[in-house]
Formats: sequence, structure tokens, C-alpha cells
Amino acid sequence: MNAHAGLDLASIPERIQSEVQRAIQRSIKGVEYFATSGPALGSTPKDILHVRGTMNLYHYRPIANEIYRVPILIVMATTNRGYILDLVPGQSFIEFLLKRGYDVYMLDWAAPKPEEKSLRMEDYVLDFIPDCVRHVERDSGEADLTVIGYCFGGVLSLLYGSIFADGPMKNLICFTTPVDFREMKLFQNFSDRRYFDVDRLIDSVGNVPPEMILSSFEMLRPASRAASQVQLWENIWNDEYVKSYRMFDRWATDTLPLAGEYFRTITRDLMWDNKLYNDAMSVGGRPADISKITVPVLHAVAEHDHIVPYDAAKPLIQKIGSADKEEVILKGGHVSLVAGANAIKRLWPKLDSWLGERSI
Amino acid sequence: MADKSNDPVAIWQNMMGEMEKGFNAFANRAMESPEFSKVVNQVGGASAGAQNQFGELMDKYLANMNLPSRAQMVSMAERLQSIEGQLNEIKALLHQVHHNSGAPAGGLAPAPRPPRTRRPPSAGGEQK
Repeated sequence: MNAHAGLDLASIPERIQSEVQRAIQRSIKGVEYFATSGPALGSTPKDILHVRGTMNLYHYRPIANEIYRVPILIVMATTNRGYILDLVPGQSFIEFLLKRGYDVYMLDWAAPKPEEKSLRMEDYVLDFIPDCVRHVERDSGEADLTVIGYCFGGVLSLLYGSIFADGPMKNLICFTTPVDFREMKLFQNFSDRRYFDVDRLIDSVGNVPPEMILSSFEMLRPASRAASQVQLWENIWNDEYVKSYRMFDRWATDTLPLAGEYFRTITRDLMWDNKLYNDAMSVGGRPADISKITVPVLHAVAEHDHIVPYDAAKPLIQKIGSADKEEVILKGGHVSLVAGANAIKRLWPKLDSWLGERSI
Repeated sequence: MADKSNDPVAIWQNMMGEMEKGFNAFANRAMESPEFSKVVNQVGGASAGAQNQFGELMDKYLANMNLPSRAQMVSMAERLQSIEGQLNEIKALLHQVHHNSGAPAGGLAPAPRPPRTRRPPSAGGEQK
């Protein structure tokens, strides 16, 4: 080491050689990138148990020789596809749960068709989820189940749990679930009631187009897409980096449209009137007060979540009626909390240790 | 090991990271203003209306040219999706019948489900 300059002169030729090799690799791999498709996602073996309109219920085939008594129903966010929780072997939350002996079902959403623009919040909370719960009960032969909701799937699970507080939900796990919508500051500003005419939008487009939803997510971090493409080019020689980039990029851009009426309710009741936080929410005329939920609850939130900031998620545990409740704040962002290397190390083992003893 | 503070690649990557953070923070501050909301929603509202009118015009043009419109192509894709959906429903019904009947004549017996007897390690269960 050159002590004066703080520069390791001996390493310079080695560094140059390494950079030249990477530049060559970038050119080769860059061509490969455009010539090949990404890894197959969501390939854990499953059976389609029930399909109705925008709703798909999957049952994943158990792997363990002995499983916990209480099955799990995962409720996905209505804006995104469920395969974020089942990326590739070794990076799949579903596979992890199956290996740890859970019986796993997932309520995943397909794009609502134009004629489904009139689907309302009550269709999701009072019809789709209870319908799936009945199918899980019938298929598993068990009278209770654990519900796991991711992001807005967590909001739907909270609404369901508060209306059907007498069961059959035995445990509730929410990932990055907003309750105080005032704290989603940028979304609040995008949907400022003085300027955002939700009725005009829904009446002209029917279902909210996925491009609009994707742009609103991307606007939260406007430089990040360009920066991620630069990083991809820098790391294109690295197969693992490229694989990971393709998986997450494909999922992030595979956004679903939202049914018009459902979006209208989200905007009016949650974004504008913050009814869930103000204990004034109702679905189809039925009060949905989350203090009525008394089952064990675990809420996992991400320290650097730019979509659901911590302040928006924090009141969940404060307001829930359960005595057995826990909030866990983990490093990571909105997606890396549940999928990817961080999740494997942090969230999944935590969830297993919490849920195992509540699944017998 | 090379000193990261003198590594041009590390400096470049660090600079990119800082630029990204700085730009995002700057843009977020700008987007928090009511003026931003006003402008975006005015432009967005106007463009949604204009897009609708333009779409109707294009539909007429394509019909005159005897070509399918995007809406018709989407409708065909939806019909395919609906057929796929119905196939899935049939598959789900078959699965249910198969499950209820136990061992259907001429068919494979349903895969046996593992027993629901697992216990967590904390309750004396074993991690398998």
C-alpha cells in the first residue's frame, strides 16, 4: 500500500484487467439478456381449487411428511400477482412454508375484465374472501385457518377479520399493511380531493389501467428505474444479479388493473376520509372496526418502505383488539421484506417461529 | 485489498447511489406540493378524456380499413382467457369430485394428505 496517497498502486493492473474482463462479459451477457427470457416464476406445484372471475384459489401440494393442523390462506394485494411469494426454488416463501410443514392456500387475483368494473369492496370482503375460506375449510377438513395478507391484501384481511370476528380466522398475519392513509403522503397528494376527480376517471376508463397504477408506484421514486437500469448494465456480467433483477422487474411491471368501483371506494373511504383509521369504515353496510379482531396478530413492517411508510402501518397493532399481538420491524423495503435474500434471513424464520406454536 | 475510497468504480457507484437518493428526495418534495397535484390531475383528466375521443376515432378508421381494433383484439384475448378460466374451473371441479370420491373407478387415487399432527419445536416437535 502506498502510505502517502492511500492508494494501492500494485492492485491497479489487476483492477484494470478485471474491469476489461467485465466489459467483455457485459457485451456477451448483454446480447444473452435480450435473447433469453427470465427464470420461470411461481413454479411450486399447486392445484387450482376454485376460480371465479378475478379470483383464483390455489392449493400448494404439501412437501412435509407431517403438517400443522391449521391451514394458511394467503390473500394477495389486488394490484399485484401472487408469484412474488413464489419466485424460484430457494427464494420462495411458499416453498419455505411447505418445507416447514404448513398447508398453504393462496387467493390470487387475475385482471378484472371490463365488465367487472362494477366490482365493489363488498364483493372482495363479503364474497370472494369468505368463498375462499369455505373452500379451504372444505378441502382441509379444518374449521379454522390462519390468514396472511400482503399490503392491500392485508387491508382486505383486516376488513374481513373485523366483520367475521367470530371465526373461522384463528390467526392473522399482515405484511406492510396501511391503516392510517393520511401518512401515505405522496399518494395523498396524488389523490387530493380538490383536484383528483375520481368519478370522472372511473366513468371514462371503467377499470383503472395497470399503467396508471405502475406509474403512481414509480413516481414515488422517479429516479430509481433509470438508476436500476444503469446498475443492471454494470452488473450484467453477474448471472445471479441479472436473475434477481429480472424476477423483481418482471413482477413489478406485471401490475393488475383495479376494478373501477372498488378503486372509487378506496379513494373515497380510505384515501380521502381515512375511515379505517377513524373507526368509521363499513363494507356493504356492515361496520368494519379492527378493534373487533381479537385473534393473535403479527404485523411485519419494513424499515425503508417507500410505498407504505411506517407511520401509515404503525396504528395497526395499536388499534387491533387482540391481546396477543406483535409488530416486527425488519430491515428492507416494501418488496424485499417478503421476497429475496433479506426475507430468507429475517422475515421467514420469524414468521415460522411465531406461527408454528399457533398452528396446532 | 484495494482502498474503496480510491477505487474509481466504487466512487462511481457511490456517486450514482447518492444522485438517485438526492433526485428522489428532491422530486418527492416537489410532488408533495398542492400545485403538483393540481397540474398532474388537470393534465391526467384532460388526457383521459382526449384518449377516449381519439380511441373512438381510431375505431372508426380501423373499421373502414377492415382491420380489427385494439379493443377487438383485447376482447379476443379476453375470450381466450375466459376459455382458459372455464378449463380451470372444469379442472377444479374434477379435482373436487376426485377428492370427494376417494378412489374413482379407473382413475388414480388422490394423493394422500400428510397427517395434521405436526408440532413446533418449542412444543417438543421435530423439524423435519
